Amino acid sequence: MNKKRRMFVRMVTASLVRRRSRMIVALLAIIVGATILSGLGMIYFDVPRQMSAQFRSYGANIIFTPSDDGYIDKDSLEKGISCFSKEQLEGYTPYRYENTSIHNIPVTLAGTDFSGVLKTSPYWHINGSMPSSDGEALIGAKAAEKLGISVGDSISAQNSFEVTDETDLTGIPDYEIYTDPETGEKYCDHMLELKAAGILETGGSEEEYIYVTLADIQSLTLSDRGYDIVEVSVAAMQDELKDYLKQVGEKTPDISARLVKRVTASESTVLTKLEALVLIVTIVVLALTMICVATTMTAVIAERRKEIGLRKALGAQNSSIMAEFLSEGLVLGGVGGIAGSLLGFVFADIVSMNVFSSPITFRPLLLPITIAASVIVTGLACMIPIKSAVEVDPALVLKGE
Amino acid sequence: MSLLELKDVSKVYGELHALEKANLKVDKGEWIAIMGPSGSGKSTMMNIIGCMDRPSSGQVIFDGRDITKESRKKLTEFHRDKIGLVFQQFHLINYLNAVENVMVAQYYHSMPDEKEALEALERVGLKDRARHLPSQLSGGEQQRVCIARALINSPELILADEPTGNLDEANENIVLDIFRQLHKEGTSLIVVTHDPEVGEVAQRIVRLDHGKIISDKKNESFSEGE
Repeated sequence: MNKKRRMFVRMVTASLVRRRSRMIVALLAIIVGATILSGLGMIYFDVPRQMSAQFRSYGANIIFTPSDDGYIDKDSLEKGISCFSKEQLEGYTPYRYENTSIHNIPVTLAGTDFSGVLKTSPYWHINGSMPSSDGEALIGAKAAEKLGISVGDSISAQNSFEVTDETDLTGIPDYEIYTDPETGEKYCDHMLELKAAGILETGGSEEEYIYVTLADIQSLTLSDRGYDIVEVSVAAMQDELKDYLKQVGEKTPDISARLVKRVTASESTVLTKLEALVLIVTIVVLALTMICVATTMTAVIAERRKEIGLRKALGAQNSSIMAEFLSEGLVLGGVGGIAGSLLGFVFADIVSMNVFSSPITFRPLLLPITIAASVIVTGLACMIPIKSAVEVDPALVLKGE
Repeated sequence: MSLLELKDVSKVYGELHALEKANLKVDKGEWIAIMGPSGSGKSTMMNIIGCMDRPSSGQVIFDGRDITKESRKKLTEFHRDKIGLVFQQFHLINYLNAVENVMVAQYYHSMPDEKEALEALERVGLKDRARHLPSQLSGGEQQRVCIARALINSPELILADEPTGNLDEANENIVLDIFRQLHKEGTSLIVVTHDPEVGEVAQRIVRLDHGKIISDKKNESFSEGE
């Protein structure tokens, strides 16, 4: 570095370090601006992910059904589920429905995986508790009312099926065989003893079913036939979900996957509006911040009019003075941008924790963007007052006029 | 040989004639005091000589060159190369220390050199205060830094505007001794002052009143050895 460049650096450094009380004011303005830019940027880009996760409390957004009259077997389900990203897959719940009777009243039993239900139907309201083991049942509120069942009651579910060979029933407990007097056909009444662990209230059709474990329904029907329906909850936007559906269709032709339109469409609408809102707020705040930074830099430069006049009196060209002052501004912009982009992440994380109760995703690309924006905004904010300041008449300024 | 010549130089601000047909010739190595009451046109004349202002009419010939016709950029370059300025208010950059303040003048002139800047401070007796900020220096010391800054580029003319206006007697004497030394070394000096004691030590005294030169006399009491 030659002597001239070294002196340039020395002057800029001295101005920044020895005038720190003044520079801190400008730096704070820049840091606040950069923090808001970086923070709102991170929030803006994280809103879809955060909101998708929030929307999952509305229930599953994808339904798998068999593409023909059959059922969804375990292998197909695993293949279908493997199409989703592990980060986005909130959970899935298979359901198998069987018509049975309790106290001789027909009722539909739904076999399911209760650990999955917690993820795909977090809105379910249960009086009592969720079944935690085989032999326990969750009774839909309407079914409970129809059957007169309360939490803790024991119930006996009955499944009747034709028996062709009694040896098939070897090892099965709790069954009775009877013969239809008109047709002479033999039937088996297989019984399953259940305990009502909880009563389910959803306000929907779920209240009409009795939910048991998949093992229980298999035991009652003596069959492992696969699932009628699978509810899948994926934290993704509508377009991404459509891509997933396409993949599932290609990978598992025996599964028909479709979106739960009422959920995905309303999610999409709310999210679009929310994104627009955050974008507008970001732009307005950014504009206000730019004005704030520009005002601060104008004040900082205006109070150095005399120094500019002196430099001109010492023979400085306007371009030289502009380069010095602009460099100070750019250094401030860079330092403020670095500090602001990191503080912005902290700010966004605090907002996210308070609003969404989950941490923000750090987006490294926003760091250079924030630093560049901070440098550019500070540079522009400096240019206007510098340009007018270098036009001063040194004679007048040095006379104090 | 004449270093500077003002030929019928006038400066008009609207209705006000700040300077009216001023004629002045300054020889190389000469020490001139420009005196007069406030509003007499001293500062206007200084600004024109110092290339910080242009006359409304007339010619300013500096080192054989008519500088009234020069572009602003050329004028800045010319002033930077030929003239050293000393101000009443010192006008040091408050965040640069003494030696850096001197180096600023080098920076805009040619190439900063800390060793030369320290030598310039030594000439005005401030080498040991080189690393002090202006706020840590007395008024007299600040004015000496200002003189060192004016000297650093070896200008042909030192133009001082009320150089002792803000100093006590002791510091005034130090500054005048420095001027005497510079004069002995052959530097041309124009000192604008309203202080008779400062004017009396110059080789020649030019008096202004209402924008006109009313007298231009050799100082009979001038002595090189004083």
